[in-house]
Amino acid sequence: MADRMICVDMTTETVELKPFPQKWQMLGGRGLSAKILLDECNPKCDALGPENVLVLAPGVLSGTAAPTSGRLSVGGKSPLTGGIKEANTGGQPGQHLMKLGYRVIVVKGKPKDANKRFALEVTAEGAKLVPADEFKGLLNYTLCDRLHTKYPKTTSFITIGPAGEMQLKGSSVATTDQDNRYPARHAARGGLGAVMGSKGLKYVAVDPGRASVVQGADKKKFNELCKEYSQAYLAGPLMFKHGTSSVVPVANMLHTFPHKNRTSGQSPDVKTLDGARIVESFDTLGGGMHNCMTGCIVKCSNIVHGEDGKYVTSALEFETLTLLGSNCAVAKWQDVADLDRLCDELGIDTIETGAALGVLMDAGQMQWGDAEAMKALLRDLPNGSERGKAIGNGVVATGKHTGHKRIPHGKGQSLPAWDPRPLKATGVTYCTSAMGADHTAGLIINPGLPQDKFAYESQKVQLVNAVCDSSGFCQFLQPNLDNIRAFYGALVGREVTREEIHGQGWQTLCDEWEFNKRAGFSAEDDVLSECLMQDPIGPAKAVFDVPAEIIAAVYTRMTPGEDMFTAKASG
Amino acid sequence: MPSVRIPPPYRGPSLGAAEVDVSGATIGECLEAVERKYPGFLAQVLDDDGNVHRFVKLFKNGEHVLRDPLRTTLASADDLEIIAAIAGG
Repeated sequence: MADRMICVDMTTETVELKPFPQKWQMLGGRGLSAKILLDECNPKCDALGPENVLVLAPGVLSGTAAPTSGRLSVGGKSPLTGGIKEANTGGQPGQHLMKLGYRVIVVKGKPKDANKRFALEVTAEGAKLVPADEFKGLLNYTLCDRLHTKYPKTTSFITIGPAGEMQLKGSSVATTDQDNRYPARHAARGGLGAVMGSKGLKYVAVDPGRASVVQGADKKKFNELCKEYSQAYLAGPLMFKHGTSSVVPVANMLHTFPHKNRTSGQSPDVKTLDGARIVESFDTLGGGMHNCMTGCIVKCSNIVHGEDGKYVTSALEFETLTLLGSNCAVAKWQDVADLDRLCDELGIDTIETGAALGVLMDAGQMQWGDAEAMKALLRDLPNGSERGKAIGNGVVATGKHTGHKRIPHGKGQSLPAWDPRPLKATGVTYCTSAMGADHTAGLIINPGLPQDKFAYESQKVQLVNAVCDSSGFCQFLQPNLDNIRAFYGALVGREVTREEIHGQGWQTLCDEWEFNKRAGFSAEDDVLSECLMQDPIGPAKAVFDVPAEIIAAVYTRMTPGEDMFTAKASG
Repeated sequence: MPSVRIPPPYRGPSLGAAEVDVSGATIGECLEAVERKYPGFLAQVLDDDGNVHRFVKLFKNGEHVLRDPLRTTLASADDLEIIAAIAGG
């Protein structure tokens, strides 16, 4: 059956299946989302109004046997930044949609009655909207517990929690993972959960039934590639074998493990927040490492248990340990695990939330390190207090709520762990990415990089990541452009050239920049908060002081060197 | 002289230098030689007890060195690659 797209109109409560355009055959995930948003969404629209468009797009390779390739991109105009947004996530729905031949779900409009909730049910037979009022206000885990009894066991889910329904700007879109089918994976950044909430869409259920793996046009070559690439990866250093939380001590060493609202780059609690402690806990408490989606060979996701030996959360990542841990002076990983679970239940971004809580503490309105107060505030968030709404709306909203001035952000989005003062080239990415301050847009962990290389390196890694995020590959697999074009070639049955794959990545960046330009962004927005330019960090007393002309150079397409095609994706 | 490849996260002390040729008969000696040239480098590779950090992996001519890495010999044509387990999350 030819590939199709699912077009949902929430205003008329109708669903239509349309043929997926052949010209987009090699477009998926982030690249496809950017193309659709640029074509079909008014960039000046209210991000929580009917004109915004929610895109759910699996990567090009999702549903195939390519390893670790089932990422799902969620796109729309961000209510947090006011610009274009793509956040991608693991879990099962990306794989399931592609196995059914659905290349993208496009959701437009808004229900006439904002109190109503709907669900989109997707099967091999088609897709339909159904009432979902009975699930209104449910936490993500409770919701999925109930959905698991309602739908066949093969079904995966895309959901929002109460934060998305409240249309808080830090809210996330969750997907269910492979093993436990928990809503533990999140397209977290930029408030796309609020966009889904504004459309009254509580969940999407995708039942692949007996749909089989997508085969390449050159089946033999595609399968050989899968085998060769997997063997090569598994023979390598396996950097993420213990999860991203193992990065904690290295980041601390490089002064990019922010402490107390980024007033320091190191934490005195680095040993108790180190992911090694989580790995050690597997022996006594249970839990362990697993893959969040079918066919993943990275297996970076940890399953974390509490003192009672019962499941608490998955995955407890480096970014979460940093923002909800060190940045708030919380000393114990066990507390961060509880906070992570609360964020997953509510459906809010752990980075944005941790940064916002750090501002609240820095403003003197909560004690540093008071994990119990943090948990209490999050538990109370659905009740809609002004403080809860400020935290749920992110770091800038919390700054306004408290009147505090040190608000680390880029384009209204809080910074992730990676600090642009010791890592200035990463700061160039934060300034120029249409996504705002987002490490997955192009992380450059090279504190010795000379300034004249910042623009090229940032453009290179932004382009490589744009292609990776369009392919369905997880950034932690660290594929390069040559790897991706080889898979694309076997998938479509012809050679995909370096020029073609480079052009595709560049086009995605240009589409995103163009959207933001039409939304009203200009070079004046390519800056980071004053505190990052004025408050020094680390022994080098580094501030973010990259000249504007170097930042602006990212927008000019540079001639790619050999390294453009061999550089690994780096999120 | 053996060649030591420095991973991007550890290029602060070397001011961006990615590769350095140093004198030394073992990996340990070569790492100390890099430290003499670029002070501050070694603390990124070895812990307070002088052992290789658990988040660092060493590859001699492309082969992962698992046993007694600091005493592993390096000939003049050998190359040592340092891999730092660090990325996003």
